[in-house]
Amino acid sequence: MKTLKIILNGKETTAKPDQTILEVATENGVFIPTLCHSTALEPAAMCRLCMVELTEGRRTKFVTSCNYPLRQDAEIKTDTEVIRRGRKMIIELLMARCPDSDELKRLAGEYGANLSRFEPLNDDCVVCGLCARVCEKVGGKTLTLSGRGVHIKVNTAFGEASPYCIGCGACVQICPVNAIKIEDVEDERVITIHGKEAARIKLNHCDTCNKYYGPVIDLTKVMERLGEKTIPPPNLNLCPACARQKLGKRIADRYYDVY
Amino acid sequence: MTESINTINTTPFSRIFKPKELEGYRKDLLSKNDPNGPKVLVCCGPGCQPSGSIEVAEELKKAVAEAGWNGKVIPQIKMTGCHGLCSKGPLVTIEPDGIFYQKVKPKDVSEIVEKTLLNGELIKRLEYKNPATKQTHSHTKDIPFYNRQTRLVLKNIGHIDPFDINDAIMRGAYSGLAKALSEMMPGQIISEVKASGLRGRGGAGFSTGVKWESCASYPGDRFIICNADEGDPGAFMDRALLEGDPHSVLEGMALAALAIGSERGYLYVRLEYPLAVKTLIQGIRQAEELGLLGKNIMGTGFNFELSISRGAGAFVCGESSALMSSLEGKVGRPRPKYIRSVEKGFRDSPSNLNNVETYANISDIILNGSKWYKDQGTEESAGTKVFSLTGNTYNIGLVEVPMGTSLREMVYEIGGGIPKKREFKAVQTGGPSGGCIPKQFLDTPVAFGSLAKVGSIMGSGGMIVLDEDNCMVEIARYFTHFLVEESCGQCTPCREGLIRMLEILNRITKGEGREGDIDTLEELGKFMTDFSLCGLGTSAGNPVLSTIKYFREEYEVHIQKKKCPAGVCKPLFNYSIDANECTGCGKCRLRCPVNAITGEKKKPHTINRELCIKCNECYKGCDFRSIMII
Repeated sequence: MKTLKIILNGKETTAKPDQTILEVATENGVFIPTLCHSTALEPAAMCRLCMVELTEGRRTKFVTSCNYPLRQDAEIKTDTEVIRRGRKMIIELLMARCPDSDELKRLAGEYGANLSRFEPLNDDCVVCGLCARVCEKVGGKTLTLSGRGVHIKVNTAFGEASPYCIGCGACVQICPVNAIKIEDVEDERVITIHGKEAARIKLNHCDTCNKYYGPVIDLTKVMERLGEKTIPPPNLNLCPACARQKLGKRIADRYYDVY
Repeated sequence: MTESINTINTTPFSRIFKPKELEGYRKDLLSKNDPNGPKVLVCCGPGCQPSGSIEVAEELKKAVAEAGWNGKVIPQIKMTGCHGLCSKGPLVTIEPDGIFYQKVKPKDVSEIVEKTLLNGELIKRLEYKNPATKQTHSHTKDIPFYNRQTRLVLKNIGHIDPFDINDAIMRGAYSGLAKALSEMMPGQIISEVKASGLRGRGGAGFSTGVKWESCASYPGDRFIICNADEGDPGAFMDRALLEGDPHSVLEGMALAALAIGSERGYLYVRLEYPLAVKTLIQGIRQAEELGLLGKNIMGTGFNFELSISRGAGAFVCGESSALMSSLEGKVGRPRPKYIRSVEKGFRDSPSNLNNVETYANISDIILNGSKWYKDQGTEESAGTKVFSLTGNTYNIGLVEVPMGTSLREMVYEIGGGIPKKREFKAVQTGGPSGGCIPKQFLDTPVAFGSLAKVGSIMGSGGMIVLDEDNCMVEIARYFTHFLVEESCGQCTPCREGLIRMLEILNRITKGEGREGDIDTLEELGKFMTDFSLCGLGTSAGNPVLSTIKYFREEYEVHIQKKKCPAGVCKPLFNYSIDANECTGCGKCRLRCPVNAITGEKKKPHTINRELCIKCNECYKGCDFRSIMII
């Protein structure tokens, strides 16, 4: 297989065809900031924070490093003046949307961004699309980006509380600005987006400790996704903590005499 | 407009079973329908229809049927596509003499039949008035708007009934496809198109032949797609082609399919063009019946099936990857195109996407040869280009000129100059992705590279002429507002950058501009050009950047002096009558809708600023240029 010759910030290195610039940079210890990228998901190239300067042959252009497939020898510069100014502008624009985000404040410090350059919009979302993408891949496929232009937003179908949510919380975990809230209240798990309830899922009840745990989901679907059709789903009236206790007791009872 | 008024005489149950039979079929049609016979062609294009041209055609039908012809050949009445000179519609052309009548009303019909059709007399009040010479012209060939054009792609529009394929065949439709099927290998077709120098007419100007060659090189099911999502405000070139000569486009797509190796094609037509959808559906159906499209085309075993998909009101779906996403039934959002759509496009398969006008050029390149095409236009931009010339010129409409024609020629010779002796200010080209070109560049030839050099683009052919009464800041604000509505919203630079630019422009046009606004606009514009995900974003800064480049003083006057010198931004100017120039004719006083103007006959009038709503009626109506903007 052909190896590509890459000059990364002046240093010579190699790459395999169709590797992305971000992969090559990571392998070589060169840091490129990202916001909408996750190694678990297909790149979206929406935030544009990871843009770098690429020269292939005689053409120099700006490309996003998260998804650009290297197919010829190239020179890459990840930190030029124009790029730094562009990153600063992205942060300034996003800060106006989400003035309270810690992640953005951290980036702002690094690129010298003026935190109050533009009139704040008082939103809490940077429209990175990570929540929608992860929900599509591992969750209940309930979140999407709907609308166009400045009205684009993370939403459920028809803006209503979704019956498809499985309460996995992947969206909560992946959001870089902590805009999605999850809370277990008695026997229900509530997911809140943009201050509105996106999903309300029932929780299982443990007959042993009398507490609520885990969302009630159709486990057959999960088993199918895992390819496990023959293993029966577990007993839902036992929470993980009590199940561990019970198993521990069984083992202790069986081997008590030996030990 | 779904039936022909006079059906073309043809042999019943026709089908072409061999490519060579098409020529015989065509000759047979011509023998039964004299191409030089008397005809009245009524324009039913997008400009003339709303002005009542269909009523004119109906009246003509009735009047011609009732008149006494005394053995003379009865003229055919044809409802055709756009005749081109839209500002003078409804237009009626009388063949074979080429008599041109403008602003025709139903009440003019009986006179036209009596005088012109029966007795060969001309009606002066319906003739075109040349603004430069003040003479009238009775024939199309004498009108500079027409005789300075080179109508090749538009050659059939205005002459044929778009709902009758036989009309198009008589003028050569599908002869290119028949020639290619009987004499050429797919590789040869691609070589001819490459050699012709044809570049994409949708705006990007990529070599069509190279795109076809590239698409053909990738394995898989290949698709031929036509981008008929013409979205630039003021552009109607593609519309005229689809509604006036649909077969030129269908034949071009079939030739592409033959060259690249595809059996499936789609036309993505914007939702706002229902008439184009009708002409296309009828065209595809009639072509399939004759064996010119569909299965086993002209008996050669070549299959090409075409379908139509409609847009849903999104400008961004004119972007190739957004179009393909929408065509797949997904949301119309662009994707980063590091892997070209000729490799992975529609349904992740190799796809060839071309603009309507690009396809319309193909048949004649095959029939007349690549050298014929390359000999026209310039070295780097071969052939002709269709423009929609709009704005403040005397003549407004569809214009086709060889590449390399100067802007001056277009505005003054073809456009007839600017009425009422107003000063030319700029030409806006390329729609929301383009820029404004000022007076000092009027001699710039219209071509791909030359317009880019002066800070604009040719784009798909929109050309808006602006004069001293247009405010360049407002023009920039208009296009920015358009783009804010149409941006898909995925990437930060376009979504956030545009809305912040609009905020600043709104403030400036309201008189709330601040020091540093121009610098911020420039910074945002350049940032969007470098960092956006798709073409909409990377070109979104152009209207603002080009107007700042050439009309910076106008921005500065708005910001520092809070004044709009062109008299457009209402909070920033007042109307005032110059007592030295005013003749006291009273026209403005009568036009004013709020009675803000007072004065005695033959004495200078005055405007009461408290009552004035700045509707512009007095200024527009004054024949003595005595109303000032202060």
